[in-house]
Amino acid sequence: MSLLQFDGIHKRFGGVAALGGVSGTLAEGEILGLVGPNGSGKSTLINILSGFAEPNEGRISFAGVDVTDTEAHHRFEAGIARTYQIPRPFSSMTARNNVAVPLIFGKTKLHPTAATDRAIHWLDFTGLASYADQSVSELNLHQLKYLELARALASEPRVLFLDEVLAGLNPTEIEESILMIRRIHDLGISLVIVEHVLRVVNALSTRIMALNQGLVIAEGAPADVMKDPEVVKAYLGSRWKHA
Amino acid sequence: MTSPTAVRLAGFTVVALALWFLPTLQGPLDFPIFYLLFGYTLLFWFAQASSWNMFTGYSGYFSFGQGAFFGVGVYTTGVLAAKRGWPLIAAIPVAGILAAVLGLSLGFVVFRLRRLQGEIFALVTLAVAFVVAAIARVSSTIDGGSGIALNDVRLPDFLGTFPSMMFRLGLIIAVLTVFAAATIQRSRLGWGLFSINDDEAVAESLGVPTFRHKMMAFGMSAFFAGLSGAVHAIQISYITIEDVFSIRIPLFVIVMSVLGGMRHWMGPIVGATIIHTLTDRLNRAGDLDLFGGSLTVSLDHLNDIIIGLLLIVMVLAVKDGLWPRLVKRKWAAAGAFLFGLLVARIWAPEMSPIGQFVAGELGAVVVLLPPVAVIDRWRNRRESSKTPDEPTGRPTVGATP
Repeated sequence: MSLLQFDGIHKRFGGVAALGGVSGTLAEGEILGLVGPNGSGKSTLINILSGFAEPNEGRISFAGVDVTDTEAHHRFEAGIARTYQIPRPFSSMTARNNVAVPLIFGKTKLHPTAATDRAIHWLDFTGLASYADQSVSELNLHQLKYLELARALASEPRVLFLDEVLAGLNPTEIEESILMIRRIHDLGISLVIVEHVLRVVNALSTRIMALNQGLVIAEGAPADVMKDPEVVKAYLGSRWKHA
Repeated sequence: MTSPTAVRLAGFTVVALALWFLPTLQGPLDFPIFYLLFGYTLLFWFAQASSWNMFTGYSGYFSFGQGAFFGVGVYTTGVLAAKRGWPLIAAIPVAGILAAVLGLSLGFVVFRLRRLQGEIFALVTLAVAFVVAAIARVSSTIDGGSGIALNDVRLPDFLGTFPSMMFRLGLIIAVLTVFAAATIQRSRLGWGLFSINDDEAVAESLGVPTFRHKMMAFGMSAFFAGLSGAVHAIQISYITIEDVFSIRIPLFVIVMSVLGGMRHWMGPIVGATIIHTLTDRLNRAGDLDLFGGSLTVSLDHLNDIIIGLLLIVMVLAVKDGLWPRLVKRKWAAAGAFLFGLLVARIWAPEMSPIGQFVAGELGAVVVLLPPVAVIDRWRNRRESSKTPDEPTGRPTVGATP
């Protein structure tokens, strides 16, 4: 049985259809790569699946339970976590307290004192332990992206949506981040990764879903999807059709 | 092992008990009764500022609803105790509950609508205060426009003489409110509110039940504001819509909390102490003759101007309020306080103790005003002059994007 399943997700912003009926599944242990050009609906889909936005139509079920109308904080407790493309730390808190929040409110439901102690485990996991008691304003982009991971991991999710975790990083940082994503997967967490760097998605994903203009245009093994004429067209434009 | 909550509870109990017997000591120590009423008003502002801050200070949702919650409290005493003959003690909890019901109903509507964040939320709460005032004005069961006299209210005599009773009622409510504010700050609710303050959407996606937390904090904030208003009705003694629903309450609690600091329960206490002692002295200072009598300024009228200026200065210069700075520079502040106190004693020996306290307070505030950056720079310079070869400051870790 699939861990996450979504059927016929529609989302309209004003008169524009951002998603025009997207369906799919995520099996336990999978790394699903979500690709597509800008504006294809990848982020909207993640927002809807994580409870950040409501779909106009469609159903979502997680571990066999319909969660379409479940509030975001309940989905997080149930085991659906996400990160943001542009890191959104709690700017008035230290790195440690940033990670304590999901430990207090997520599945673990720790007492604040216990949560601030436990937070160091996930800061350590992401290599931020030495920044634990510093203000987040002292972290650079790479570190802030890791802080996003530490927060998302803190309540031990079953599914993690990674929204462009590599965007804006330099090549060394990208290599490190890829290793980090593998380590997260090794914890037994199923991943959905949205990424522009196709080489990375190819290397990491067990399966790829390609979106264009709010519709799924291809799905399957990475190698096949990348060769799909529709995908090539969507990415490179029709001029390259015959190339 | 003792939990932090138990320690806090013990601390509050000790302070509360000590203050409880202050009115008893009035006879033996022979201090003027005025100090009990002064103390009551200070405790009243502690309760008002703390109740406002436990929602707005922690969550960042700027509420002008304080006037409405306070007003509901005042008029509950007016209607139940003055018009219907309830004992005051029975009216007080009802006032808290009615204010909480108003807060929760308002919260239920505005917190459901995501677009009602920021300035719009502030405006909606302000509008509610006007609506509540308008209802009280037209309804003859509440006020009807003529005001209510509270001369015949059945007061709790077992709490002592009138000043002692007011002081003790004020004390009970202030202690409950401040204890609640301190407890919330360190509890799950406080963590939730502070994360909402930073980024509500992210808080929700990390498991914070944002709607429920905002409701709980807003409801409690309204509850304590109502309790405090119910007691204050007795102090006002003749209540009218214009006075009760004036901008004074919401304005003062904002200034007090901003001045003291909104992220710690001690902030409103510090702010209320400074503002109340300062305005009290200004009110009593009478006229000030300048330029050999050619210009007479009534300090009483300067009051609002000073409060306004203070708000502007604080918002621009001391964003986090005085409390965090007081913690960091406590010895400097204590020294400046003593210095101000001594200067006042020597220079103006006829000055009242409150006046001397204000002088000390102003000394401390002056020490706390320079921004942290200035102090750090000064410290760095001093250290670098000691060891000129070593680089100052700590190394920067990567560039921030």
